[in-house]
Amino acid sequence: MGGCLEEIIFLSALDTPVLIIGGGVAGLAAALELDRRGLPSLLVEKGPRLGGQARGFCCKALEACARCGACRVGDLLQQAAQRPALGALTQALAVNAQRQGAGWEVTLIPQESRQPDTPALALERPLRERLLARTGAVILAVGHQVFEARKKSRLGYGRVPGVMTAGELEEALAKGGLPGQARRLAFIQCVGSRDQALGRLYCSRVCCGFALRLARLARHLEPASQVTFFHMDVQDYGQAWRADLSEMRADLRFIRAIPGEVRPGVGGPLAVFAGPDGQPQEEEFDLVVLATGLEPPVAAPALCEMFGLAPGPHGFLAGGGGVLVAGTAGGPRSITESIEHAAQAAAQAAEYLLAAPASPAGEVAHA
Amino acid sequence: MPKPVLCWTPAPGLEGLEPLALARAVGLELDQGGALEAAVVTVPEALAPDRLRARLLGRPVQWLDLAAELGGGGDGHRHKRAAAALSRAAGRASLGTLPAVYAPQPNQRVLVAGQGLSALAAARQAALLGHPVLLALRGDDPAAAGAGEDTSQVAELAAGLPEGIELAPPTELTNLTGAGGSFSAWLKGPQGALRQRFGAVVLAPGGAWEMEPAPAGLAPDLARPLSACDPASLATAQGWRQVAILAGVGQPATAQGFARALTTALALQDRPGVQVTLLFREALVATPEGERLYRQARQAGVLMARLADGEPRVADDGRTLAWQDQVLAEDLELAPDALFLAEEITAPWPGFLQNNLLWPPLARLLPEHARLDGGRTARAGFYVLGALRGTPAGDDRLAEAAGAVHDLHDLLGGGATPLPAVRHLTCARCLTCVRVCPHGVPEHLEDHIQPAPAACLACGICAAECPAHAIAPPGWSTAELVEGLARGLKAAPSPAMVLMACGQSAMPAFAQLSRQGHVWPAGLLALPLNCAGRVGLELILRVLSLGAEGVLVAGCHDGMCRSITGNLRARLAVGQAAQTLKDLGLRPEAVSFLHMANNQPQALAKAVEAMYARLGAPE
Amino acid sequence: MRLNDCDPGFKQEIARQPGGEGIKTCFACAACTARCPVGSLKPEYDPRRLIRLALLGRRQEVLSSPLIWLCCSCQNCSEVCPQDVRCAEVLTAIKNLAAKAGHAPPSGSAMARQLASHGRLLEVGEFENDKRAELGLPPVSEEPGDYQALLGLQPEAPRPAGEEA
Ligand SMILES: Cc1cc2nc3c(=O)[nH]c(=O)nc-3n(C[C@H](O)[C@H](O)[C@H](O)COP(=O)(O)OP(=O)(O)OC[C@H]3O[C@@H](n4cnc5c(N)ncnc54)[C@H](O)[C@@H]3O)c2cc1C
Ligand code: SF4
Ligand code: SF4
Ligand code: SF4
Ligand code: SF4
Ligand code: SF4
Ligand code: SF4
Repeated sequence: MGGCLEEIIFLSALDTPVLIIGGGVAGLAAALELDRRGLPSLLVEKGPRLGGQARGFCCKALEACARCGACRVGDLLQQAAQRPALGALTQALAVNAQRQGAGWEVTLIPQESRQPDTPALALERPLRERLLARTGAVILAVGHQVFEARKKSRLGYGRVPGVMTAGELEEALAKGGLPGQARRLAFIQCVGSRDQALGRLYCSRVCCGFALRLARLARHLEPASQVTFFHMDVQDYGQAWRADLSEMRADLRFIRAIPGEVRPGVGGPLAVFAGPDGQPQEEEFDLVVLATGLEPPVAAPALCEMFGLAPGPHGFLAGGGGVLVAGTAGGPRSITESIEHAAQAAAQAAEYLLAAPASPAGEVAHA
Repeated sequence: MPKPVLCWTPAPGLEGLEPLALARAVGLELDQGGALEAAVVTVPEALAPDRLRARLLGRPVQWLDLAAELGGGGDGHRHKRAAAALSRAAGRASLGTLPAVYAPQPNQRVLVAGQGLSALAAARQAALLGHPVLLALRGDDPAAAGAGEDTSQVAELAAGLPEGIELAPPTELTNLTGAGGSFSAWLKGPQGALRQRFGAVVLAPGGAWEMEPAPAGLAPDLARPLSACDPASLATAQGWRQVAILAGVGQPATAQGFARALTTALALQDRPGVQVTLLFREALVATPEGERLYRQARQAGVLMARLADGEPRVADDGRTLAWQDQVLAEDLELAPDALFLAEEITAPWPGFLQNNLLWPPLARLLPEHARLDGGRTARAGFYVLGALRGTPAGDDRLAEAAGAVHDLHDLLGGGATPLPAVRHLTCARCLTCVRVCPHGVPEHLEDHIQPAPAACLACGICAAECPAHAIAPPGWSTAELVEGLARGLKAAPSPAMVLMACGQSAMPAFAQLSRQGHVWPAGLLALPLNCAGRVGLELILRVLSLGAEGVLVAGCHDGMCRSITGNLRARLAVGQAAQTLKDLGLRPEAVSFLHMANNQPQALAKAVEAMYARLGAPE
Repeated sequence: MRLNDCDPGFKQEIARQPGGEGIKTCFACAACTARCPVGSLKPEYDPRRLIRLALLGRRQEVLSSPLIWLCCSCQNCSEVCPQDVRCAEVLTAIKNLAAKAGHAPPSGSAMARQLASHGRLLEVGEFENDKRAELGLPPVSEEPGDYQALLGLQPEAPRPAGEEA
């Protein structure tokens, strides 16, 4: 598509075998995998830049790579840049979809957005005018929504200075280092996950991994710091992780309890938690980090209605009828898992096109 | 020697530069649309106009991302940086490239050896993409599922296999050599062993359940695998009251193993009169339904018991378990009427993967590596899927298989970089390249080195290590690099410094900073490499002898190198260079190495700054 | 303690009580413990511990524990519980079972007696009504009959049958 993106800015309609909605790691990977199969696609992203939420994450390597996957975003962007056939429309929002034979007609409208400080990559082109995309298959890669930490009001987010989300810590570390003079750090896990009271009866899968890696990085950057890890269970990420974990168990303070409250203290946030003797205990920290979980994308209900989909597990998206789902739009997964998931969505989209009766867009696919 | 011209393609970031003045400054002609011998283009290949690409087909071309190398600063400053970068590129383009001696076409056949979901899905996808597939199953039933797989899903896949798949009689893969585009596989079947050639190989054994180890001292008749438990018929018949299930005690379970234990616990707890106690260290609930199952089991009345290291202890009778309750901090005991041990899916590594003669040994092709997803291994064209890789049974296996097939299709269709060129006349047959290539590309055939046609990633490790300068991916020989750098350094204002930037980490970060207008020192010359592994002791010393005052090599973090050890080799070379400089009475600080990721541009900016500070003459 | 000697039915029994339904879903995260105001005053008191004992089936120990009566039903625990255990209600259910088994503390029985015989926890006599008259307030009368009817008691036999806390 890249070659003709220039022109479609002046078009009101275009045909593409596959329309990919969402330009995070999953959307990018889907576009790349389709290109590797020799199938063109159109990638649309509502924001001004590709990369999605993982774009701002930090590298968690100490002496060696911690296998967090964050730099895979850069890899994908670079691979996409090396494939002349790839292009993406940014600031484009899908607002309507009509079934056309076995395919879809999707209306995209331009989105206003604040321009970020990073210049656009060559493959990113903003949508200027309403566009009708006629497509044989659709891949929904709209990502997840991060749990709104304010909803767990007792944990003090937005109210108690020194309480931040893990996403904010990721970005702070990516930009330079630990915020302020943070020597005493606490992580609180499962915020917004594994929670029947919130209707979120699932584990977000990635937060044990990123929180512990962030904790270790913080210890590394500031050797004088102390890290307390409030959790219920530590999930498993394979052989190499288990080795790292036993090191972390020796280095960080693991407390198997979830604090009931975080309130302002004299020198920083004060966490109230059950001590080993089963009594409420207070401890002051400089920084309390909430490992917020992954929620279904905000757009899920609207997309379900647009494409006539039944809601998927836990309110995430599930595909059907030439609509495939990739990445965290379909449930919690890590960056590398989202990339693999996108490969499958790409393969399924290709199979769907092969099986689909001839349609205007289908012909493009067979051509 | 071909004479390069400058093809100036305007791009964002090049504003304010005078093409004609620059061309003159570096001694190049500006492209007038005539015939071309060689060229320097100011934008990457993907961004060049189609007509230019067509005109340049088959000629030595240096595609620059000039804007990304420039950075910010005043017009004069950027002019100087542009001149150095263009000179460097002109130097390389004028050398042309070593011609590949002969380029065999990659074999398009795909071998899928294994069983179950992963194998069938991979075979199906490869066939749909037009590859002839040999599906070599261990048994004779294509619908046989691996442990934990959904049998109906597997049967459906087996029934609907597309055309283009040849089903081998029950066959075992017993040895494998080669790399992408040219593998030799030894297959042992009813007709005996035979060797066949394939372009890509997918290994996907089905996997089997393995019981977790029983705690020491347990009566052997008490410990039974979870799969021996059929809750519907067993529990009431045998009058059990107390049942214990151990899930992730001796060694950590996986989320899939834990979910299976929960399902059985739930079913048993539903039997009248039965109380199930589930003993574990961590509740591994990271599957879509894991947490719900965990809650359902508690709701049904299953007792959850968390254990610490070394628990449970087994009493002398071999039948009583003891542990400390973590909430009550007091000892509990349980003498269960029945005890089940959870199981995990395992697959043994085939013997041929244990071959340690070559580096990397095949068994080490599969480090846990954030870049090797989709079943990829360090050996391009060879994929390991499913149980052998620890991928959970279910859709994750389909996703992994799809990734692997896209990758092999891309490779066999020409997506790999061109064949490394071997100069047989100078080659000493020392086999260094065979030993060091992380992707298994060079193969020693009878009397010469023959690279596999679809596997080279142009990491340049062979070129850095070959003692005879006889092998290099096209464009990456030491001669080409040095010639380019010599011209670039001549054009670079003093103090000149070379940044040897790995294309997976440092170069994208460098480009990002440049696009954001970061002002690099005028004398900094970036040398984009595919992998830091291209840097050897010789390259560093030659660059210093050409007048660079410093060399900074930046590569991926340990464990993230796409070519496995390229970064470590480069770091070693930098260490050796520092030692050499010291021995010569020169400043060892003139060379240094930086581990970084592509999302750490600040680290790179800082390292460059520090290097200039050390050189004593910052701009 | 041997689990074989415990009573696996105890948790089910609590779960059958109104308010006790949530007990089995507790996954011991201790958020309730952290928030419980009683716990910070009385070191031995820990709602999670009581729930754990009940889950293990230690009927006697739980029902006869004086600690269960310390819960003041402030609902702090219920507010933070991620599993919707409704810990305060669970403790009420346990108290009810304990009272049925004759473990109500003397103060509780005394209060029940008071309620049964006077209809309120504070006895109202002439002294009180005189004071009220001085302030121009109408007299209040004790109507224990209503309570006795409500609790199904014989008017003369003020014995506690249950403690509706
Ligand atoms: C705090 C935190 C830390 C994490 N750390 C790690 C980690 O260290 N390692 C790891 O592997 N994973 C981590 N994850 C998980 C990681 O964020 C996800 O796996 C990854 O971002 C998923 O990528 P995606 O492409 O599916 O979704 P996203 O990154 O969410 O991308 C979706 C894209 O779609 C766009 N979009 C949405 N709706 C529309 C629409 N209607 N039309 C057009 N475009 C749309 C969005 O703008 C966005 O760009 C973390 C998650 C969180 C919350
Ligand atoms: S995977 Fe994570 S830790 Fe490893 S290099 Fe990339 S960003 Fe750094
Ligand atoms: S991954 Fe860890 S922190 Fe996240 S929900 Fe699961 S158990 Fe909680
Ligand atoms: S390393 Fe060089 S000399 Fe040695 S075999 Fe390879 S090409 Fe020949
Ligand atoms: S360049 Fe790298 S991948 Fe290619 S043959 Fe040489 S060592 Fe192997
Ligand atoms: S907060 Fe709820 S789940 Fe956690 S220990 Fe208390 S009762 Fe149990
Ligand atoms: S309701 Fe009872 S257990 Fe819960 S916090 Fe209040 S006093 Fe503690």
